[in-house]
Amino acid sequence: MNLNTFYLAVAGLILAPLLGGLVAGLDRVVTARLQSRMGPPLMQPFFDVGKLMSKVIPPASHWQGMFVRWALIASLASDALLAAGGDVLMCFFVQAASACFVAMGAFSGNSPYSKIGAQRELFQMLAYEPVFLVAILCMAKAAGGFDAFSMMSGSEPLLFKLPLIVPGLLFVVLVKLRKSPFDISASHHMHQEVVRGIYTDYAGRDFALLEIAHWADVTVVLWICSFLWATGPLQMLATALITLFVALVIDNISARLTWRTMLKTVAPISLILAAANLVWLYLE
Amino acid sequence: MTEAYIGLLVLWPLVAGLACLVLRGPTARSALVLATGVALAAGGLALASQAPFTANPGFMASATAIHIAQAAAFLLPAFFLFKGLQEKHLLVIVFALAQLALAATGEFYLPAAAAAQNAVVVDGLSLALMLVVCFAGSLICFFALPYMKHHEEHLKLPVSRQPGFFLVMLAFLGLMNGLALSNDMRLFAMFYESTTLCSFLLIGHDRTAEAKQSAMRALWMNSLGGVLLHGGIILIQKQYGLADIQAIVTPTLWAGASLLPLALIAAAGCVKAAQMPFQGWLLGAMVAPTPVSALLHSSTMVKVGVFVALRLAPVLQGTTTGKVLCLVGAFTFFATSAMAMGQSNAKKILAYSTMANLGLIIACAGIGTPVAIAAGIVLLVIHAATKGLLFLCVGDMEQAIGSRDLEDLRGMISKTPTTALAATAGAMAMILPPLGMLVGKWAALEAAAASPVAMVFMALGSALGVVCWVRFAGTLMGGKSVGVQPAHTSVLSTGPILAMLAGAVGLGMAAPWLNALLLPAELANPFAGGWGLMPPMFVLAMVAWIIGMKALSRQGNATLAAPYIGGLPSNEAGSYVGPLGRNWILSEGNPYAPEIFGESQWTKIAGALGALLLLALLGGAII
Amino acid sequence: MFGSFLKKSQIKSPWLMHFDCGSCNGCDIETLACLTPVYDVERFGIINVGNPRHADVLVVTGTVNRRNAVILKNIYDQMPTPKLVIAIGACGCSGGVFREAPNVLGGVDKVIPVDVYVPGCPAKPEAIMDAVVTGLAKLGKILEVA
Repeated sequence: MNLNTFYLAVAGLILAPLLGGLVAGLDRVVTARLQSRMGPPLMQPFFDVGKLMSKVIPPASHWQGMFVRWALIASLASDALLAAGGDVLMCFFVQAASACFVAMGAFSGNSPYSKIGAQRELFQMLAYEPVFLVAILCMAKAAGGFDAFSMMSGSEPLLFKLPLIVPGLLFVVLVKLRKSPFDISASHHMHQEVVRGIYTDYAGRDFALLEIAHWADVTVVLWICSFLWATGPLQMLATALITLFVALVIDNISARLTWRTMLKTVAPISLILAAANLVWLYLE
Repeated sequence: MTEAYIGLLVLWPLVAGLACLVLRGPTARSALVLATGVALAAGGLALASQAPFTANPGFMASATAIHIAQAAAFLLPAFFLFKGLQEKHLLVIVFALAQLALAATGEFYLPAAAAAQNAVVVDGLSLALMLVVCFAGSLICFFALPYMKHHEEHLKLPVSRQPGFFLVMLAFLGLMNGLALSNDMRLFAMFYESTTLCSFLLIGHDRTAEAKQSAMRALWMNSLGGVLLHGGIILIQKQYGLADIQAIVTPTLWAGASLLPLALIAAAGCVKAAQMPFQGWLLGAMVAPTPVSALLHSSTMVKVGVFVALRLAPVLQGTTTGKVLCLVGAFTFFATSAMAMGQSNAKKILAYSTMANLGLIIACAGIGTPVAIAAGIVLLVIHAATKGLLFLCVGDMEQAIGSRDLEDLRGMISKTPTTALAATAGAMAMILPPLGMLVGKWAALEAAAASPVAMVFMALGSALGVVCWVRFAGTLMGGKSVGVQPAHTSVLSTGPILAMLAGAVGLGMAAPWLNALLLPAELANPFAGGWGLMPPMFVLAMVAWIIGMKALSRQGNATLAAPYIGGLPSNEAGSYVGPLGRNWILSEGNPYAPEIFGESQWTKIAGALGALLLLALLGGAII
Repeated sequence: MFGSFLKKSQIKSPWLMHFDCGSCNGCDIETLACLTPVYDVERFGIINVGNPRHADVLVVTGTVNRRNAVILKNIYDQMPTPKLVIAIGACGCSGGVFREAPNVLGGVDKVIPVDVYVPGCPAKPEAIMDAVVTGLAKLGKILEVA
């Protein structure tokens, strides 16, 4: 590991959550515009986190603070890994660890809603993880290496070799952004059956840290999506923004699915498509 | 000097076991078991410090040893035949007769194979298995001391059957060491068959109808494994006249030849490692006392299977047989992970997860590149520590509350905090980076680059495993905080648990270095390729640990918020005051999605597919 | 700077929890109307949340009676501090026409401290939004933010 890699990792560590916060702000503005509303200022997510930081509230479990911090560190680590050109597969596993910690914290909470949320989160992971993993394997095969740099250094877009993983990636983005129809474990809007699902018991500072972890996760997922057209930084940014926009449109025009539909229908279809793409790459 | 150590590792446990049978007192037994454990650990380390080496200790190299092995090739199947006739079990009878026929063929119709050049060859693989046996096996035997005392108190036996039990347990360790170290196929086959015998005796130890049935099932499946193994050995004997394992696993020997003998031996390994469709015997092993299942699953019996496969791996690299073997392993990894998802019986979850991890190792063996083999061995070692830990924890919790159902284990953190936390840590060690199991899985995935189908299976199995373990750990952590610490804890039950925990985490952290030790010299950079990520990740894990512990110490004693139950008030933890002012108790349960992960349908469909793949393994070698 | 950002963000991001304490639904409809494109309270960073542990402002409509007083108190207690309470409509302010009913305790302030009262039967969305802004100004004064 040379010094350059180190600088890149630190930059990823700091910039990625900020970028994720901006994405969250953009998300709210665009969603509001799609609903012909004004929407909050772009910086609103940062105010939200700042506010949550300064709240005082007793915890719902002795363990949640620990799990939240572990989740945050894992999420930030996955950003740093990606920024330093590390192994994308390992980056995926580190990010999955973050999701595991969030679920563990929710399991140790005391509200039933939190536990339902944790259970649903697990089934959600079951649905998207194989798809995401196979999509990354496809990218690695097409790019000729598992590290982020070789995926970003292609002269022609990976998209042309990997058209079938696009629905899978979109599915992953929707789940990871906690958007309809896949906001199963942590419903974003009030008055729903699981209250706030997996996040119900997290509050105050813990919740703020979790929000930052979520931003970091979103950055990683969109970043990996942007490998599809990684011929230059601008193209990557455009790919990420287009993915985000499509996800927002889908969010606004769809209602929530159940985890059974997700696990039995959506996940198998996107997995089969992605696997077909993988096999096709090998036959070429 | 090495000869003496080898003698200590192989023979001393047998002697100590017999001494247990003679000196029937509990004190003498404890002393013998502890002494054996210490001797094995010391001997194992002493041998490890000299590895790699070859040796010819008298008791394994002499003509007498070979004669004993040849006699065992008849005696053990004869005993199985006797048991089969006694229980009127057709499959056991058939396979025992087949084994006898094969042994007779090898003995009387074929020219005898040349003796091995070295009776003992210690390389990375055999060292890994031997150390696993010496450390994990000994710890499990320690744990068995208080466990069996409690177990017999519970069963109210008039005469203690512990002497016989510990004879088999200790002998098992010695035989496993012999299996790991021996370089002669005949000796290897003897040790292989005797582990079948030991597992048969241990599974049937409780003598209930269920135990008997499971023992017979284990016997017929493993006898089938024995038939396959002997078939392979005899084909090699006929074709090459060889019994030297190191000579057999030289790729040049097999250039252009049919790999059928190796496919047979690999299939025997698959049976022993409980790959689909032979998962039945390992599940049946769950009826035995927990130390037995821990021993069978983590350090001994099943490790024989993957050991065999990894031993053959250099020859399998790039061959059709290797590719199919990789598929067999990857498919089992996926199918058994899915079956673990649908289980609420904690021991069955562990059993299925064991098969899944063994499947991953078998897949590594099928890939057969040096990188994949190293990943397989790393997985073998770390799996032993982690799964041993989980078994001991589940056994301890089972004795504390009298149930092994995951739903009943809910909230164990408030009843047996040490064990429950150790189990949680074990579950996390199965899935989290930068610990070894995950790192091994990652290395296997990257090594599997030649086989897209295997990769997809691995991706599916990986997600299923993660979900299953998080749910397991979350269930232990969650739930009502009621109940008190039971009084039965003994140093000999918490000690091995903590030692296993240290092993699981320590070895998990040491994975890159272990991996580098196992690679050939030109690849042996601990931080080559993606492995370079590990040191920064360790640092990060340390930082995370410190920050997390600080948060825990801040929150650990905080007064907790009232649970949010739609705003309803709550009189006590785990309840709420609902309609009519009544106190309603909240109950929780995990969704096991039986319509998706139901055991019976998966056993049928996945079993059929697994059988198909195993047939393809043999068929592919014939063609 | 970070400290002032934290203080500022407390009044820039009020998350509402709406509790219907036995209202006739008139005020509830008006409250929810604030979320519609016509009024769009999200402009002020307001989100309607369903979980008291995430809420900063408790918006209560309707009279408090003997059955739901304990739930109102419970929800209030589960909110993190600092917190605001807004009583909406004639019923929320004083019990309204139900004030003398035998099962009714009266306005929200019989159970929990109220920061802002919004009169009206039902209260207008503009008035409700104004109440939130007033409440935030009050909070800002406590936190000494300009």
